[in-house]
Amino acid sequence: MNFPTEGTLRRIIAFVAALGIGVATYIAIADSGGGAPACLAGGGGCETVANSTYSHVAGVNIAIFGIVGYVGIFLTAFFVNDLARFGGFALALGGFGYSVYLTYLEIFKIEAICQWCVASAVLMTILFALNATRLIGYAGVGNGTGPERADAKPA
Amino acid sequence: MSNKREREKRREERLQEESKAGAGERRTRLLQFAAAAVFLVIAVVLVLIVVNSGSNGGDAENLTGVAEVDELVGGIPQQALVLGDPKAKVELVEYGDLQCPVCKTYSEKFLPSIIENKVRNGEAKLVFRNFAFLGEQSPTAGAAAVAAGAQGRGWEYLELFYKNQGVENSGYADDEFLTAIAEGAGVKDISKWNEDRKGAKFTGEVDRTTEEAQQLGVTGTPTFAVKGPSTNGLEIIGTPSSPGEAEEAIDSAG
Repeated sequence: MNFPTEGTLRRIIAFVAALGIGVATYIAIADSGGGAPACLAGGGGCETVANSTYSHVAGVNIAIFGIVGYVGIFLTAFFVNDLARFGGFALALGGFGYSVYLTYLEIFKIEAICQWCVASAVLMTILFALNATRLIGYAGVGNGTGPERADAKPA
Repeated sequence: MSNKREREKRREERLQEESKAGAGERRTRLLQFAAAAVFLVIAVVLVLIVVNSGSNGGDAENLTGVAEVDELVGGIPQQALVLGDPKAKVELVEYGDLQCPVCKTYSEKFLPSIIENKVRNGEAKLVFRNFAFLGEQSPTAGAAAVAAGAQGRGWEYLELFYKNQGVENSGYADDEFLTAIAEGAGVKDISKWNEDRKGAKFTGEVDRTTEEAQQLGVTGTPTFAVKGPSTNGLEIIGTPSSPGEAEEAIDSAG
């Protein structure tokens, strides 16, 4: 199997990040616009997770951080230089690490699973794999100021 | 001419090699940064997990908020889980589950203002009714509060429980925790309380209010209802988004 071209990786990264923006935006809107919060009976994994103390950091819904991260990764897919490659990798790595921590909290502390949080964690894991592939394959390719090279070969 | 062309060719080749070497160096440096970042993230995640792997809250040995609770409800008459002047025309009823984290938030952020502005002056009485549905420790915790209410310390029990609430359904609300709350709430006869909370009278009371909430269409906690001269019996007002909203409901019911 051939190593994917950077153009292919960038297109998939942009697509997956766009999905991530959608999921994180949904979670943020559901949290802020869903009326007053309430504890609901079993099966309401998302309510339990959203009502837990872990759903906000410094008063900010963590979905907002998710949106910022996905938008950042989305933007890096439009640039072909080492800053974009490393920036995308770093954001996806941070997002992946945070997703691992949040999944731990869901399973062992909150003891409830929210399907939207799981969807976001899966998307962030895919983005981490894609951005790592992009960085390993193409770091150092091009001088960072040249035109877009969708057909660039791995370094 | 050919010498000059060869020199230019060699120069170009040298520049290309230098550029390649530069790119190689940049690549190595970037991958080193990436590896360091991976190790850093692994370390941070592990630290976060270790820091959070301790208690699930609900620490029976380190209760907090005893003084605040005394200050909040001290001096206000109470009977069973009714706080305030029994003759008050308006009653604000909260259907709650002691394990519910949102009820904790309401207990700490909303009720103090309502108690201060409407209950302490005798305008309204505040009634807690168990809607114990979140987990298997919810009814036992609810019955413990009702039993504390039988000794005139029901609201101290509720408020102190919320102040020390652990993670929902993590198993923290065991006998040791419930007893520590009873002691902190000032329940005088602990052995009677212990007997009462397991007896059919008090567990039945929790079942009764839970059924009542279901019949009223309550689906989540906390849900508030108000009753007064201007209401048609007990009217559900839902979950107010501010203490002011609940106080307005009390005013219109009076």
